[in-house]
Amino acid sequence: MGASKGQKLSGMQKQVLSLYRGFLRAARSKPAEDRRQIESIVSAEFRQNSKQVDRKNFLYIEYLLRRGKKQLDQLKSPDTIGLSSVNVSSSKKQNADT
Amino acid sequence: MATSLIRRAMNVTSRVSSSTVAPASRLVLVRPYASEAEAQKVEPKAAASTNMKTFQIYRWNPDNPAKPQLQDYKIDLKECGPMVLDALIKIKNEIDPSLTFRRSCREGICGSCAMNINGCNGLACLTKIESGSSETTITPLPHMFVIKDLVVDMTNFYNQYKSIEPWLKRKNPPPTAGKEIPQSKKDRAKLDGMYECILCACCSTSCPSYWWNPESYLGPAALLHANRWISDSRDEYTKERLDAVNDEYKLYRCHTILNCARACPKGLNPGKQIQHIKQLQLTG
Repeated sequence: MGASKGQKLSGMQKQVLSLYRGFLRAARSKPAEDRRQIESIVSAEFRQNSKQVDRKNFLYIEYLLRRGKKQLDQLKSPDTIGLSSVNVSSSKKQNADT
Repeated sequence: MATSLIRRAMNVTSRVSSSTVAPASRLVLVRPYASEAEAQKVEPKAAASTNMKTFQIYRWNPDNPAKPQLQDYKIDLKECGPMVLDALIKIKNEIDPSLTFRRSCREGICGSCAMNINGCNGLACLTKIESGSSETTITPLPHMFVIKDLVVDMTNFYNQYKSIEPWLKRKNPPPTAGKEIPQSKKDRAKLDGMYECILCACCSTSCPSYWWNPESYLGPAALLHANRWISDSRDEYTKERLDAVNDEYKLYRCHTILNCARACPKGLNPGKQIQHIKQLQLTG
């Protein structure tokens, strides 16, 4: 992460922060234990992406923002009760032909 | 002639042998045709000549985010179907399973495989592979957000279609209750050229006006459907529909560029239907 949060934020950084705020606000409307789980998953994902993703990779950041907005719209609906995440390892394993 | 003589001789000897000769002895049939070994010798000569063609395909993976690239694939056209979709499926099956694209019907009716082939929007299942050794470039629909490789985000397009309310709306119940609303053949003929639209998005993504204003301009596909419901004699909300579209951005971003008519894989003319709406706005 480059610029500290106190200094001038770029438009893209503001969008990321407002998306994060939107997730936390949506979590507030859910029951208590689901709220904790949503907050932990969302904050972990944002923190990981902030460390791994290059600041200048606008294409990927915009892709993540669009994906996040769609997920937020789904979360806002009252039918959705929580989030869960699955870890898919990126290592390629060749399946043996039976 | 010779074969029939041999066959008759065989029959005679077989009849004789079955009754008198011991079952251990068997007759060897002499065939005048080529044996299987000889037939196989002919085949390799035909398969030796190949017709290779290079496909340059747009690749971008959100899991390993780097810059999008055009990747080259060489395939033998002699072992591939005639359409671009056949080539894509062959590449996915044999060379690179990670190539991602949408497809469903393979006959040009579902609209899933819409992409940009050699600069022109079209359905991959209806576009023939160009003969000749020139490279074919396949990229996703222009000016759409890419999800992966050739798959684009169509939600904005579908939302625009939803916004024109593409269903029959009536104020009064049907003239004969419980039965269908009658429509003359002339009125039904007014819908020809609009109902065939498969929502493939080839026309909207070929319109430069839609490129520059994708959120505000509805695009040729949505406006074609708007005209389909405006022209439907059974629909009673014509005035409301016209007022809903009568907006500087929703309708009047169309400057009759007519790229849409050129791109449509079903041969429809959205530009003509948009002209019809504009005329109704003037008179109605």
